[in-house]
Amino acid sequence: MKKSIINTLTVLSLVTAFVMMGFTSIGSSSKYKCMIQMKNYTGEGAYVVISLLDANGKYVETLYVQGNDDEWYSDITEWWKFYGKRRPNIDSITGETISGGERKISVIEIPDDKIDTGYKIRFETAVEDQEYHVEDVQFELTSQTVKSKVEGNGFIRYVRMIPQK
Amino acid sequence: MTISIWRYSHLLLAISSSLFITLASITGIILAFEPVSNQLETYAIHNLDNVSVATTITALQHTYKEVIELQVTNDNFVTASVITHMGDSETFYINPITGKKLGELKEKATLFKFATNLHRSLFLKSTGRFIVGIVSLLLFLLLFSGIILIAKRQGGVKRFFSNVVKENFLQYYHIQLGKLFFIPLAIITLTGIYLSIEKFSLLPNHQITHTTAFINNYTTKAPKDFPIFQQTTLSDVKSITFPFSKDVEDYFLVKLKNKELQIHQYAGEVLSSYEYPWVAITSYWSLLLHTGQGSILWAIVLGLACITLIFFMYSGFQMTLKRTKKQLILKNKFTKDEAEFIILVGSETGSTYRFAHLFFEALLSTKNKAFIAQLNDYNSFAVAKQLIVFTATYGDGDAPTNAKKFQELLASIPQQNSIKYSVIGFGSLMYPQYCKYAVDVENRLAQHPNFEAFMPLFKINNQSFTAFQSWANQWIAHTGIPLTIKQPKASIDLKKLRSFTVLKRSELNTDATFLIQLQPHKKQKFQSGDLLTFYPENDLIPRKYSIGKINNTIVLSIKRHEFGICSRYLSQQSTQDIVKAKIERNHEFHFPKYAKEIVMIANGTGIGPFLGMIDENKQRKKVHLFWGTRTKASTEIYKDILNEGLQNKQLTSLHIAYSQETGIKQYVQELIAVQAEKIASLLKNEGVIMICGSVAMQNQVLQTLEKITTMQLAQPLSDFEHAEQLKMDCY
Repeated sequence: MKKSIINTLTVLSLVTAFVMMGFTSIGSSSKYKCMIQMKNYTGEGAYVVISLLDANGKYVETLYVQGNDDEWYSDITEWWKFYGKRRPNIDSITGETISGGERKISVIEIPDDKIDTGYKIRFETAVEDQEYHVEDVQFELTSQTVKSKVEGNGFIRYVRMIPQK
Repeated sequence: MTISIWRYSHLLLAISSSLFITLASITGIILAFEPVSNQLETYAIHNLDNVSVATTITALQHTYKEVIELQVTNDNFVTASVITHMGDSETFYINPITGKKLGELKEKATLFKFATNLHRSLFLKSTGRFIVGIVSLLLFLLLFSGIILIAKRQGGVKRFFSNVVKENFLQYYHIQLGKLFFIPLAIITLTGIYLSIEKFSLLPNHQITHTTAFINNYTTKAPKDFPIFQQTTLSDVKSITFPFSKDVEDYFLVKLKNKELQIHQYAGEVLSSYEYPWVAITSYWSLLLHTGQGSILWAIVLGLACITLIFFMYSGFQMTLKRTKKQLILKNKFTKDEAEFIILVGSETGSTYRFAHLFFEALLSTKNKAFIAQLNDYNSFAVAKQLIVFTATYGDGDAPTNAKKFQELLASIPQQNSIKYSVIGFGSLMYPQYCKYAVDVENRLAQHPNFEAFMPLFKINNQSFTAFQSWANQWIAHTGIPLTIKQPKASIDLKKLRSFTVLKRSELNTDATFLIQLQPHKKQKFQSGDLLTFYPENDLIPRKYSIGKINNTIVLSIKRHEFGICSRYLSQQSTQDIVKAKIERNHEFHFPKYAKEIVMIANGTGIGPFLGMIDENKQRKKVHLFWGTRTKASTEIYKDILNEGLQNKQLTSLHIAYSQETGIKQYVQELIAVQAEKIASLLKNEGVIMICGSVAMQNQVLQTLEKITTMQLAQPLSDFEHAEQLKMDCY
């Protein structure tokens, strides 16, 4: 008898938790166009993972993944520690890898309450049999930076963002 | 270089890579379905060369709030990344004329994903890719050595595509398919190698560099009015990235198949153009050719090539196994210095061993001291009285592999006593150098002081057992040693024999020949020239008769031999009796469909299939029958059929040679020699000559024909045999 009550409570609390989480993420968000211009490196196409980090640098959400062959995901080690545990479905926010010299425009969605509140956006890159750059591009999300151009440190030459009206 | 080096490398390459090649072939077959199924999808657009970029861009900008990117895949799908009026960011297949969505992006099927991964990297990432690259290279070398082997076997590069002699199913199709598929397979392997090399950055680097021009004064146009967009069709496009923002500096980035362009988003001018280097263009084509993307037909060819590869693996190893089996039979009871009869064998594929071994066994079973070895093992023989050489010929008159050293050894090793020799050559009349090596061996032995000819050189065409038997009989008559050559048993399931009802059997003619007419119980496909095989004593030794098809029944012309089990059995059948037999298709000896004029040459009961072919000649082509028989009385049982043929004009002329008739002894080849000019002009005009009857007659007739072609047409007879103008079925 007792057991079933506990079970019911657990289920209820879990449901509540999910609903709450649902509500928080339903909160308004905006779309941004984001262009990644690669450097002229040679080799395979690069995997680029765009993530939302909190002020302490902890992963909050995956915004976009350029590269759809998941056999290589574990090579993007920092992000894999976050994503690899649960592996939610990211099919709708994946594209193809970007080769050297190429550019790619993707549309990402960022919750409005993450702007000007210390949250950061990270672009980490990895190329088969070459280096892995955790912070190829990383900057704090402010109403200024979301319409700017930021130089990259690794395979990325620069990233440009503008809000999608 | 010798043949064996090529063959060993061919085998070695096959052994070292077979596992991977099999894996790659199986996955390749699966992957061939991907482009095929993609092309059948509704969103595959087949008229991309009729749609201009201007049309599509205008349609898209009209339909959606914003367009980010347009792509044309190798499978001819057009996709667009857009932001809809609802504000959603979406990517989907579109109709390039209306801009309307055709369907959601289809993810690569799990099976294809799995197969692709296995095919290109064996799930081993970079290591796997490296292995696959090496295997592609091995496969290419395998192909190359295979082509050399075919050329050698066919007797030269020029004869590469000429007919292959059918020795057995596996060997025949291994070569035929090799000839048919070597081009697609070369393309598959070379593109595979290229794609692997590319993955390992072994190709010259190329960097996309643009020097973007700046335009200060311009008039704003709509994209539909850009000349470059109007002139370019979607079939040339790989992708178009739309300007990132409304800033003047942002441009359209258009990737075409051979170059990429930056286009001013307001003026429509080309700001920069970058031509892809050959490395990039080659990889594009390598990918298309390797995967078959975008073309159903090519994808099917690729799939078939993969199936062929699996067949190559199977048939290649089977052939090797057979060959080693055949060659392992050399077990001697007596040493070379104890034996009186020395049998030396030169064999390339091992089939000559079969005959040598039959003869060897027969000698041993009659308590004769015999020794068998390869020609390469030629040595001094202390007490030998007879040397019997069985040898094949390789390619263009060369020695088979295991006979290469013979001539050298023959010259250097002395013999103490005088040895009598006989040479039996095995070959095929399809090759111009028919039994050439046997002739060489014969000549060398003739010049050698210790050797003395015992029996003249005997040539055997297409491994005819009957021909071999007739040689053996001559040898037996010459030596007085009573040998029995055991015919190898056929592997046939006697339950598979079909029933035939005897409709009619003629009385025995004066020369012991008769006709028997049979009706198959079940409907079966057959034609004149096919064979009917009997196993009269359930002893698995087949007796074959050539079929004449008349009014859908089988007519056999048979000579009753006193001790012939089968011919006696059939001569005792009467109407309504049932006999068991099997029809064997014999496609090489059918009435030619395309020839306008045909000469048929037969002796004795060899006339049988021709009786049916005359009946088959409803089109009344010109058909001339040359027939050799003993006496006028021999024609008795055939005369009704022949006269009817002449009356219906299904038989144009009939020439009969009587060999036993008093006063006019004549042979069929003599009748042919008289008609030399007509025969030559018939061959020249692509007519066909068919020969059916005894091997002795065949050899005489072939000699006569060879004279005719060399004298009148200055061409060897083998040319015509290759053109399938000479069809033979002799026994």
